[in-house]
Amino acid sequence: MCGIAGIMFKKTGDGRNTSTGQALIDMLDGCQHRGPDSTGFALYGDTHQGHLKLRFFVGSGDEADKAIARIKDVLSANSASIDDEETIGNNYRVVVTFSGDLQKLAYELEHAAKVISIGSSLEIIKDVGTAHDVDHTYHVQNFTGTHGLGHVRLATESDVKPEAAHPFWATGFADIAIVHNGQITNYWKMRRRLEQRGFEFNTDNDSELIAVYLADKLSQGIALEDALKTSIDDLDGTFSFLVSTKDEIGYAKDRLAVKPMVMYETDDMIAIASEEVSLNKLFPGKALNTTEPAPGTYRTWHR
Amino acid sequence: MAQIDLSRISVREGNELIRKYGEAGENVEVLNPDARHHIGVGLTAPITVKVRGSAGYFCAGLTDGARFEIDNNVGWGLGDNIYKGTVVVGGNAGAIAGVAIRGAEIIVKGNMGSRSGQVMKAGTLLCCGNANFMAGYMMYGGRIIILGDSGERVGEDMSAGDIYVAGKVQSLGSDAQLIDLPGEELDDILAFLDKHKIPFNGTFQKVANAGTKLRYGTAEPQMRSLPFFSFSGKSDYWNSKVQEDIHIKSQIGRYRIRGYGGARPLPHMTDLAFRKPIRPDLADAEIAKKVNLYTEIGGIHGAQPLKLSMPVMVAPMSYGALSASTKRAIGLASTLSGIAENTGEGGMSDAQRNAAKQLIFQCLGGRLGWNIHDMKRADGLEIYISQGAKPGLGGQLMAKKVTPQLAKIRGIPSGIDLRSPSRHPDILGADDLVIKVEEFREATGYKLPVSVKLGAGRVRDDIKIATKDGFDFVELDGMQGSTGAGAAEVLEYVGIPTLAAIIEAIEALEEIHARDKIQLVLMGGLRDGIDAVKAMCLGADAVAFGTATIVAGGCIACMQCHIGQCVTGIATQDPEHEKRYKPDIESRNIHRFFESVRWQMAAITNALGYDDVRKLSRDDLVALTPEAAAITGLPYEPEHRDETDAIAIKAS
Repeated sequence: MCGIAGIMFKKTGDGRNTSTGQALIDMLDGCQHRGPDSTGFALYGDTHQGHLKLRFFVGSGDEADKAIARIKDVLSANSASIDDEETIGNNYRVVVTFSGDLQKLAYELEHAAKVISIGSSLEIIKDVGTAHDVDHTYHVQNFTGTHGLGHVRLATESDVKPEAAHPFWATGFADIAIVHNGQITNYWKMRRRLEQRGFEFNTDNDSELIAVYLADKLSQGIALEDALKTSIDDLDGTFSFLVSTKDEIGYAKDRLAVKPMVMYETDDMIAIASEEVSLNKLFPGKALNTTEPAPGTYRTWHR
Repeated sequence: MAQIDLSRISVREGNELIRKYGEAGENVEVLNPDARHHIGVGLTAPITVKVRGSAGYFCAGLTDGARFEIDNNVGWGLGDNIYKGTVVVGGNAGAIAGVAIRGAEIIVKGNMGSRSGQVMKAGTLLCCGNANFMAGYMMYGGRIIILGDSGERVGEDMSAGDIYVAGKVQSLGSDAQLIDLPGEELDDILAFLDKHKIPFNGTFQKVANAGTKLRYGTAEPQMRSLPFFSFSGKSDYWNSKVQEDIHIKSQIGRYRIRGYGGARPLPHMTDLAFRKPIRPDLADAEIAKKVNLYTEIGGIHGAQPLKLSMPVMVAPMSYGALSASTKRAIGLASTLSGIAENTGEGGMSDAQRNAAKQLIFQCLGGRLGWNIHDMKRADGLEIYISQGAKPGLGGQLMAKKVTPQLAKIRGIPSGIDLRSPSRHPDILGADDLVIKVEEFREATGYKLPVSVKLGAGRVRDDIKIATKDGFDFVELDGMQGSTGAGAAEVLEYVGIPTLAAIIEAIEALEEIHARDKIQLVLMGGLRDGIDAVKAMCLGADAVAFGTATIVAGGCIACMQCHIGQCVTGIATQDPEHEKRYKPDIESRNIHRFFESVRWQMAAITNALGYDDVRKLSRDDLVALTPEAAAITGLPYEPEHRDETDAIAIKAS
């Protein structure tokens, strides 16, 4: 019950376009009618060796102080030293130097607070409200980077809460995010299989499953493109989803093509969205030569 | 040529201007369309609209007589339900291009998305590139011409119409077959291509209906006369109902289809009582004037509301299931009592429109009888998602009732066992639905209330979605609701009882703090003013009567609505049977029944100590059974039973 968007600027070096935050705001503004409840962004910025960026929902006031204290305890116990920290909106953002077992750290942090994202490059920003509301609080337009994902959500089965918003981080794995439109009907079966292998889930949202499923494949050394290929067989239900890693962006679409998806590619960029109206937001007044991915297909792009 | 720049004004303002230019006969050029939705929706003037770029969903939808030229691509639902007119798309079209068209010529120069021409009735859909899967899905007539490849499962469950493929036929759909192409049809196609200046050298393969699924293998036999009262009675284990059921299944070898409602006892309004002993003043003929019953439904988002003299409507019942005379009688009665009538599936007849002062026009997945002109003369528009008697399933109308006259208004072949689609082509989720609702509002200038009919299933989620998608009201139908034809097992065993449905609906709205964002009309086995008052106490804004309405108008509850030989002339399309029905007499009978409802609602509300029906609350009720108490959360006070029985007898 939502709209999705993704963009990657392919050119590197001087003069490259990196206005990912602003581009995603525009694209999501174009399809806000598909999901007025909440809006989210997965943004990939510069990477610094040995640094991790962590974001948490901590709420406000006393509740926030306690959550931050718990987070700091876990960081300290895992020898993660804090380089930078700030509280913004209901988020606590911290940059740490860390070289240990990321999955162990992530699961311990999960138990201490509500993790939004962990990554050397990835930061997820999501909250209730429109693209412009979320930008107003978290200054999404200031984010520069090569690529990112966005999502607008119409909450149906779960509450309108920031943590139920997309994008979803693949709990326990750095730098992997997904946005999904549709419904995974074999969610519990797939989740049980992954849980039996020791993976933890942060929410009951079916979209988180896609992220963990793909992250699991990637951690086994499987290429993202191949993981997307198997996802079309392994996932049941309706889906058009986008996935991103530190250097890649990709899509998969179910065979029923129940959920829309349109893409526009040039030498400089690839943009994908639920509706062409989002793509046109990037190029006002232009007739774009777009394509609609065929049912049951997948593809990836490297930066 | 007038110009409209959508980078400066909204689509809503743009469409208003397009309609104005249409009235003046002036052609329009739309600049900076940027793939916005609903461009040109609702235009009924013969002008040309040139869209300089890409258009979004439902471009040229719900129009009649205009010509649209779109330079680039279009989104889903191109030309939705066009009556007549021409649409030329320079680029590609998204899914369901030409959905439900009734006579247009649509030309897509590029490729088409999946399910193009779904439930189309007439006209031509031409794709110069390749089509995606299930082109012609459930089409009822007209032709699809594909110059490229067909896509998978072409012609899936088509009932009639022709599909011509010049490229590769990738695979055939269920009940579709390849047949020889008659020479004169090829000439017709070539003439069409020539007319639209499409260069082509080659020939076609023809895909048509294979005729294996249009009728049930065995007809539904007429049952012995076993009226509802004995059918649903408390007899022994192998009672006559069970025996008949087995007998019929031994003949037809499949599930049974029948009319009327379920016969299984379920927790219902009768399991509730009023908390305080009430003594309606039976002698007071003027009591209805002492209680404010006047109710407006549908104005919550600024549309013109339905103005009801009491919080009561007629439940949606189709012309098709019911005879034209019956629909006329119900319409007349609704006018006499100052309430609203509903077309149900299958279109609006002049007789119906003229009889009912306030008429809701219902839109179903098959888009049978749906069109812009009747939308414009309706007082409300309703999207049917499902109904209480058979939630999640489409309607059924057996061949006997699908007469040529009825088939014409619905735009389908006559004489088929009509199984209406259970899904809308363009509503696959809450995100699509919001775009559909907007299309209806655009097409009718935001004047009419738009409601949704929901069979009680996942009420909690559905009500939240309905609210977020901006509907003005919900018609919520519990599983005690009846139908003209449905699978017997579904009637009895599928769904959520009316009592549970209203409780879940109210809870859902409270959870999202949205009780004031949508109105609720409850139906599903409600029988009188007492049930109506209880529904209002539980939180409904109004109620609707279906079965009670036709029983008031002469139905004898023989449960053979599906057969089409109704002895009372109600559930039939056979003129010999229908002539027994006297609409002028029956409309008065139905009207008197509605007035008895009015009296009961007023008398009970007054006796509970209120002067306005909106002051009723759940604090006025108790539960008489543990089940009803568990469902409603009302206190279990069985000692009120005697009191209730006494009132029911006196008041009814």
